[in-house]
Amino acid sequence: MVVEMDGGVGVAAAGGGGAQTPAPPPPRRWRLADERCDLRAMETDYVRRFHRHEPRDHQCSSAVAKHIKAPVHLVWSLVRRFDQPQLFKPFVSRCEMKGNIEIGSVREVNVKSGLPATRSTERLELLDDDERILSVRFVGGDHRLQNYSSILTVHPEVIDGRPGTLVIESFVVDVPDGNTKDETCYFVEALLKCNLRSLAEVSEGQVIMDQTEPLDR
Amino acid sequence: MAEICCEAAAAAAGSDQKGECAGSRAARRRRMEIRRLRVVAEEASAKRRRLEADEEDAVGGRAPRYGVTSVCGRRRDMEDAVTARPEFINGHHFFGVFDGHGCSHVATSCGERMHQIVAEEATAAAGSSVSDETARWRGVMEKSYARMDAEAVVSRETAGPAPTCRCEMQLPKCDHVGSTAVVAVVGPRHLVVANCGDSRAVLSSGGATIPLSADHKPDRPDELERIHAAGGRVIFWDGARVFGMLAMSRAIGDSYLKPFVISDPEVLVVERKDGEDEFLILASDGLWDVVSNEVACKVVRTCLRNRAPRGGRERSSPTSNLSPRQSSASGGSSSSGDEEAGGPSGDGAGSESDGESAEDRACAEAAILLTKLALARQSADNVSVVVINLRRRPRS
Repeated sequence: MVVEMDGGVGVAAAGGGGAQTPAPPPPRRWRLADERCDLRAMETDYVRRFHRHEPRDHQCSSAVAKHIKAPVHLVWSLVRRFDQPQLFKPFVSRCEMKGNIEIGSVREVNVKSGLPATRSTERLELLDDDERILSVRFVGGDHRLQNYSSILTVHPEVIDGRPGTLVIESFVVDVPDGNTKDETCYFVEALLKCNLRSLAEVSEGQVIMDQTEPLDR
Repeated sequence: MAEICCEAAAAAAGSDQKGECAGSRAARRRRMEIRRLRVVAEEASAKRRRLEADEEDAVGGRAPRYGVTSVCGRRRDMEDAVTARPEFINGHHFFGVFDGHGCSHVATSCGERMHQIVAEEATAAAGSSVSDETARWRGVMEKSYARMDAEAVVSRETAGPAPTCRCEMQLPKCDHVGSTAVVAVVGPRHLVVANCGDSRAVLSSGGATIPLSADHKPDRPDELERIHAAGGRVIFWDGARVFGMLAMSRAIGDSYLKPFVISDPEVLVVERKDGEDEFLILASDGLWDVVSNEVACKVVRTCLRNRAPRGGRERSSPTSNLSPRQSSASGGSSSSGDEEAGGPSGDGAGSESDGESAEDRACAEAAILLTKLALARQSADNVSVVVINLRRRPRS
């Protein structure tokens, strides 16, 4: 899903240029597309407030969102584990980080085989437990995502009368030589959708486990 | 110098052992280990020959001679699996190469289960009314791959008490792990090859190199068209990839990319041609990415012709320091494991046994040499190779 950012220039846009809310994407029979990843009015508002990127001409930017049927504290407890992304990211095979989780920490991520990268070096730019904001920048590795920076936020909401969480992740990245902005956004969005879907499965799985524990505990 | 992690293919996915090619002492130790493995292989070959002699009257044929290697190469982890099951059903022999990605457990599961599934489906189809051999085998393989793909989703849970899977994740299911699967069934009259992914089967017949499978790459025109029609997209990101992620268009597993990455095999059934068919090679793309079909067949042909027993000296070769271990028999894990029941033994001492032993060794050495060649040419992947001698041996 492509979103026009305030103050942004050169954002890849598949829909109308001036629209605040992008045109609905064409229907696609794709498992990942079945996820609720379309940005709606509330999400657009969160994007405007928390997900400001300023992409340059050779960069692209976009955002994805996911509604999770799990309380916000549970979801946040998973995403804030900068030292253990493999807890919910399906493409991470191993992660090494020295010291405590704090702004400036750097982790070395090993990527599972089959993907177009084997490792990534990533720096924690921001971790705000009050506002529940996580920002990460890629500073090395053998991927092609140069100057990649992402912001992830989690927001409480109610789903089917129960506490739920809206997760939004946005990014900005250089468009590699040989690819278009559209292709680059498409690829990164697909990766982020995989991550958010796995995050939903893990979080919702823990909720189910909690609910089935003995009542006398 | 490449770090080599060798794996005994007879166990399909046994424990990894790491070796470092550094120094002549290490090289000498490795050559001694290779010799020991060869002795084991020869003993297994002798055992198999006795079993085959007992079964000869029942099925009227002998299992083909074959060699297997499977090495980690430059990849961080070993995710390939190889299966060889002579006589997995009467008169038929199963060979498979499974190149995993994302983790090893889907390929491991294929290595353990695919031959069982194919045996069940082939046995069920034998009683059907389908008289056309080609159509029957195509149906068997398509059903088998679909069953294997369904099992892949739960393969981590069913890995057993000592899983080889390295997943740290606690996800309910592993959607993001998959494997190629190239399978050959060698029967008395037909060769059946089924392929899903970018491993490959190549036949040498009458001196000609004949591919029996076509790699499922996302930019293959018909695959590209199928993916687009399903609403997917292929992006060039270090090569053509489905969504920029996976470099093959068909695989066992990888549920997160369905219906764009499917597990339907392409099946080829060819009649065997006695006097022309020489050998069949199954291998992962760790070999084929750096060795052409023609070069591979030339290497194997040379090995199979030079059947003279080797002296104590190592064959001179620029790759002689790369020393993958090998196994040329599945021994105790063979599913044909009938106990020797005192039936007539066709084996006699003398030149015939020596000849058979040399031929058995030639397949193993051909597989080893192909693997060394792939590593010498900087293959960046696990390398798994099966060489199957298709020349029938006269009965004793």
